[in-house]
This record gives sequence, C-alpha cells and structure tokens, in this order.
Amino acid sequence: MDLTGLPTVTPTDREAVVRCLREASAAHTRVLVVGGATQLDRGNPAAVDLVLSTRALDRVVAYEPAEMIAVVEAGCTAAALRDLLRPHGQEWPVDADDDATVGGLIATGAAVPRQLGVGPLRDSVLELECVSGDGRAIHTGGRTVKNVSGYGLPRLLVGSLGTLAVIVQAAVKLRPLAGARRTLVAAGGLPVALGWLRSVPLATAILVHGDTAELRLEGWADDVAAQTAWARACAPDAHVGDDAPFPQAAPWSHHPVVAEMSVAPSRLGAVLATAGCDAGGLVGVGAGWAGLEGAAALDRLRRRVESLGGALPVVRGPGGLGGTLPAPAIHRRIKAAFDPAGILAPGRFWGGL
Amino acid sequence: MGSRGGAVAPAVALPRDVAAALAAAVGSAWLLTDPTALHAYACDGLTGWRALPRAVVLPASTDETAAVVTILAAHGIPFVARGAGTGLSGGALPVAEGVVIGLARMRAILRVDLDDERVTAQPGVTNLAVSEAVAALGYRYAPDPSSRQVCTIGGNVAENSGGAHCLKLGFTTHHVVGATLVLADGQVVELGGTALDPAGYDLLGAVVGSEGTLGIVTEVVLRVIPLPPAVRTLVAAFEAIDAAGEAVSAIIAEGVTPAAMELMDRTALSAVEAAVHPGYPSGAAVLLVEVEGPDRRCAEEAEQVIACCRAAGATACRIAAGEGEAARYWRGRRAAFAAMGRISPHYYVQDGVIPRTRLAEVLQAIRRLEEEHGLRVANVFHAGDGNLHPLVCFDGTRPGEAERAEEVATRILDACLAVGGSLTGEHGIGRDKVCQVPKQFTVADQMAMHRLRTAFDPAGLCNPGKLLPTPRLCGEAPGIYRPHPTELRGVADRW
Repeated sequence: MDLTGLPTVTPTDREAVVRCLREASAAHTRVLVVGGATQLDRGNPAAVDLVLSTRALDRVVAYEPAEMIAVVEAGCTAAALRDLLRPHGQEWPVDADDDATVGGLIATGAAVPRQLGVGPLRDSVLELECVSGDGRAIHTGGRTVKNVSGYGLPRLLVGSLGTLAVIVQAAVKLRPLAGARRTLVAAGGLPVALGWLRSVPLATAILVHGDTAELRLEGWADDVAAQTAWARACAPDAHVGDDAPFPQAAPWSHHPVVAEMSVAPSRLGAVLATAGCDAGGLVGVGAGWAGLEGAAALDRLRRRVESLGGALPVVRGPGGLGGTLPAPAIHRRIKAAFDPAGILAPGRFWGGL
Repeated sequence: MGSRGGAVAPAVALPRDVAAALAAAVGSAWLLTDPTALHAYACDGLTGWRALPRAVVLPASTDETAAVVTILAAHGIPFVARGAGTGLSGGALPVAEGVVIGLARMRAILRVDLDDERVTAQPGVTNLAVSEAVAALGYRYAPDPSSRQVCTIGGNVAENSGGAHCLKLGFTTHHVVGATLVLADGQVVELGGTALDPAGYDLLGAVVGSEGTLGIVTEVVLRVIPLPPAVRTLVAAFEAIDAAGEAVSAIIAEGVTPAAMELMDRTALSAVEAAVHPGYPSGAAVLLVEVEGPDRRCAEEAEQVIACCRAAGATACRIAAGEGEAARYWRGRRAAFAAMGRISPHYYVQDGVIPRTRLAEVLQAIRRLEEEHGLRVANVFHAGDGNLHPLVCFDGTRPGEAERAEEVATRILDACLAVGGSLTGEHGIGRDKVCQVPKQFTVADQMAMHRLRTAFDPAGLCNPGKLLPTPRLCGEAPGIYRPHPTELRGVADRW
C-alpha cells in the first residue's frame, strides 16, 4: 500500500489515540494504523485519508523477568524488545524484521517460522489495551498467563489488520532464550522433513523448500546434540550450522509477490507441489510462503489452497487476501460493533470489511 | 434467574405447540418436562445455585440441535447448553424461563486423523475419552481438568478449561482447531478445522471460553500431541508454604518448564492424606512437580527441580519410583477438592489468578482473612501459573457461616485483583462471579464484550445472565454495565 502524500498523526499516548479516533469517526476520516510499515501489503487495497502511526508509543510499561511477561506499548520495535529481553535470557519468539512493531505484528498475526516449537503468535498475546474505531479505550485479557475472565478478545484482535481497533499496548508471554541453537540443512526435501517430524521430538522448526530441508534445534546443548544424532539418522549428510540463522534460505523472498499459506499440515505437500520451487513450508504446522511472479500464478495457487480448505493472503506485492468468510453476518456485526463509523482501513480485511 | 440455597423455583410449562415441535425435532423420549426429571438439571457443580428449567431437550446431532435452537429462537425462549454439569461457576445453571439443551447423547468420536494430529469429537465426549481414543497410537489430549473422567469436551470448550498440565502444554484454547457452532438463531457455521489461520477474525478464539453465550458447539476438532517419551513425577516437602513458592519461582527462572507444578498447604494435605493416603513427605507444604520429555532431558530436569527445591529449603524430595507411585501422588492432588469432606462439612471452592511472584503476599492476605473470620482455608494451586484454588471450609448448619465463607472467598479474589491478577483462571465467571466482573473490567471493557456477544446473539437467548453482569442480577451497584435501550439499538453510545 502506498502512503505517499497522506497526512500522518503520531500520538504519544492512549488519550491522543482516543481523541484522534473520535474525531475521525465523527468526520468519517478513514484511518490506516501503521507500526513499522513492514506489512503494508497484507490486506485488500483500502483507500484511506489519514495514517495513524504508533511509533511514538514505544515505552516499556512493565517487565518483571520472573513473570516471563513483558508489557510494552504497541510501537515498541521487535529490535527494542529483543534488546530488552536478551540480558535476562528471554525472548518473545516472534521472528520479525527489526523495524516491525509489537502492535503491528499482533495486528497482522503473521506466521511464526518457529511455530512448531514455540506456538503461534496468538498464543503469546495475553493482554491488549486498545482503542476501538469510535474512540473507546478498551482493556482485554489480563496480565497473567492463565486467565478465563471474560471473552478471549485478544484473540479476536490478533490478525484483525487494524480494522477493529488500534492496539496501543500489549502484554506478551515470553520464553527462555535457548542456550544452544543449531540449523541443519539437508537435501531430500519433503521426505526428509517428514522423517525429522517423526523422529526428532524437540524440533523447533522444520522447513522444506524445493529439494532442501532445514531443521531448527534450540535448547540445552546436550539436548541439541542428542536431537542432532536422531536427525542424522534421516539425513546422514546434513550440514550443521551452530548459531546459524533460521531459515538459511528464503527463496520466495526474491519474487515480486509473496503469499503466506495456511493449510492443514497434511496438505502442505500438495500445496508445495503446486507452488513451484520458490516456496517454503513449515512441516507439522501447515504454514509457509510462496514466491510468485504475478496474478496468474497467485490465482492458480490460491485456488489450490482454498480447495484444500486453506487460505493464501499476499504479504508482499499486489493480490490482497482472497478467501471467503465463514459466518459473514457475524463478521459484519463485529466490525460494526468495534468500528461503527467504518473508518478503520475500510475494505482491508477479508470479505471487504 | 436462579436462586441460592435449596429453594427451587417452580417450572413454567412450555407452550404446548413449542413442546410438540421440540418433541418432533428430537423424539418425544428426549424432551423432558416432568418436574422430577428436571430436578437432575437444576444445578451444575456450583450446587448452591438452582433453577428449574421449563424443559430439557436432548438432541442427538448437529441437525437436531439446530432444529431445537430454531424453534426456541422463533419463540424467544432462552436456552442453556449443558455437558456433564461439572462446571464450578454455574455456567450450566438453567434459566427459569428457558430450556436446557443437554448434549450428553452426542458422545461419539467422529474421526481420528493422526496425519494432522487431530481428533473430531461430539461435545458430549468426556475429556479422558479423547486421550483414551488415541493412547494406543502414542498420542494424548493435553488439557486435563481434575474432573476429566466425567467432564465433557463441549463443556471444556465453553469454559476454556485448564488442568494441572497446562503449565507446559496450554489450555483448551491452545488445542481446539475447529468447531461446528449452532448460532443462537439456529444457523450452523463451521469455524476453522483445516488451516490454523483461516480467513476472517478468529471467531473460534472468541467462542472458546465464551461460557456457552455465543452459540452451541456440536462438533469440535482437537489437536492431540504425542505422548512424552519419559515422565518423572516428584514431590518436595517444605516447612513453610512461602519457601515452596520460592522454589516454584526458582524452577521457572532456571529455564525449566515442568509439565505441572502443584502446591498444597497443610490444611489441604491433612484432608488428602486422610482420604487417599498418597504418601507425601510430611511438611507444611508439598510441591508436586512433573517433568516430561526425552529420557535424558527428563532426568536432568528432575535433578534441576530438586536442586531448586533444596536451595529453597525443602526438607524432603522424592522422585516417584514407578508409575504406581506417580499415580498415587497424582491421586492425592486430584482428590484434593473431594477430600475436603474429611476435615470440613462444607467448603467453598475459589479460583483466582495472581502473578506468580506475588504468591507470598497473597498467601499472607489469605491467612489474615482466616483469622479475621475464624474460618480455615485450604490452599491448593497450580503454582506454576499462579492459579490459586483456596477452599474455604465452613459448616453450613451453623447460622451465618456459609455467608462468612462466601465473604472470605470474595475477599480472597479481591486480594488477587489487588496484585494484578484475575477473577478466574479456569472455572469461569458463570453465574457465580458475574457481579464481580466490574472489579476487573471497566464499563467500556464490559460494553466491548457485550457487543461481541450481541454480534453472535442479537436476541440475547444464549445462556443469558452468565459472564456479564446486568442490573437484574446484580442490583444497581456502581460501575455495573447497564445498556440503555438506545445503545442496544445502536442509536446511542456511552464512553
């Protein structure tokens, strides 16, 4: 999405967000919420009048390492959060660009490469302070790992693409930073990857792209060594890289259009076969990315993914979200409940919401 | 709706045409209207609250459930879904002017699909039956409420149930990947079930834990996980419960995530020892820890846990020598609530959450409340995630004691909230805590939840009076959300 020429407001506290959205609702000013602007292409094209940047909301609100929870404002960047947590041997296991913001990552609900081992992003979001489209400050969830008080509104907001409310603050669940990290790379593609899924019990991630399979191991050093031995039984020639990044290669990223796939794990092979060689899939998770040349390739792959019950939103380049909404009437009522004037990026969400 | 104690409201008969339509939808044998039959459904695990529904309907399928809801919606009759009725917050308490839809006949496991590590079950399947269906294949269903032998998956979804092993493995919401939902107007929708990130808002995430207020789940797709290669169960005894709390924090800080960490205090232990003889080492507090994983890792984690316990002053640490001993240790914990009968004629089960690091001060507050009110409180908790289950002991035959026990239980929750905790960690708001919701959520927060509810159920027929307060339930206490009719129509607003 191109934001050139659009006026931008950069509120410095929640009250300023409240004022901004009340005014926007009254004046029917369409607002796009932007954090690090790393995922602007995610979503259907939406005409907007104003950009609301969360970048000045970048304070650390509370961090008690013993609780393994960090409370930060939405504009806190992935890099800043990482720097805060690392000295305490902890991480928020969402792999993202340095510039991406916590609020933006939650609002986009991006797939997490290490999801097999660390769980999806939505499972790490405990509490969200947000402001609904009509300018009401709302507190959802709670600052404890366990909590069933009230509806699971944080889950509803994860992946809502800024169409229900502006996230201004989040409490996220952390995990211990692994002492040892290792990436194994082997030839053999999906069969090797599936072999790893069966035989390496503590795999943090398994990625297959083309004829290559990558295995991520994180944990205590001797565990990682033991897991490596099991992994080698499937792939004796695997190359072992200690402290190497994961993934080692992202061939999809060189294409003009990048789409993020979500299918049942057992359907991943079928999707990858259609997607061509510049696609990568997370085995055991059913997520992945495909690098595509243009609209025709996207349509073809999207039809395949949707016929298997999955979804294929574009995350870079043109192409939007595709897909059809389940229970569209409920979706419309939820949108109207949180954003009655319809000012939050109207049309950006699935189903044109 | 509903009343306290033994008073049972008389049932208001269903209009004859509605009864006939319901009987036609499910078969007349599965429509219960006889008052004696209805009494079995008057309460759930929160037995202090009772109401007789106008009828109980027992559908056998999604289609029958949808037909029943369609009939009720057409007549504006509210309904309450019910699984095994083991809930502890009154989530399945009938509405006197409404109908209970019992899902106990829907107890088939429909599909086991290990390629995707999923099991599709009807809502009346018990929690344990899911694990049993896949155990021989090397899998299990992770959330394990203490009532898992009888509680149903449908009820677990409604309450977002937890259990001892949630510390490492997560709650129900982390293990539900799809659901078939009968909406409040009788329409049927499929949420999720294939991809983990389907198109749209995460409606499934909103439905799990919604206490039956957003619709009725008639099929659920659950994630199952491999059985751990090895498990070690150990117990440690402490001279003081605070020391046990320190051990818990130290274990977490070490970077060890045990599958479970359960703490019991002296009062709870005396009941448990008398009831099931688990053979714990003696002390003022016992910490029960389970670690799991590959064999060697598991052994190492057990050693790390023991080192943390010793450093915190544990007087005895024991690793269970085999499955028999481990099962005995767990039996003690699982029987804790039931065992209270050994030391007290009645008890009030509380469920609150605190940040783990505030354990010592909340325990102190509980001790002060015990002294002030002259009642004993037994403490049983999921210590790793700060989920407390104080059991307030009382004798209901003594005038005023039940009220005092409730007062203590309420004040304990206040102490949890004062340190940044939550009203409930796994039992739910239900009817029990509905009037305390304003202590945790502002009017605007409640209104956002109310709006989500009306997006699913505009007519307000689906388990009314649960989860969110209304003036009718809670009186005119300040801060309780009371939508003005114009707000409900979307005409006016409040900030």
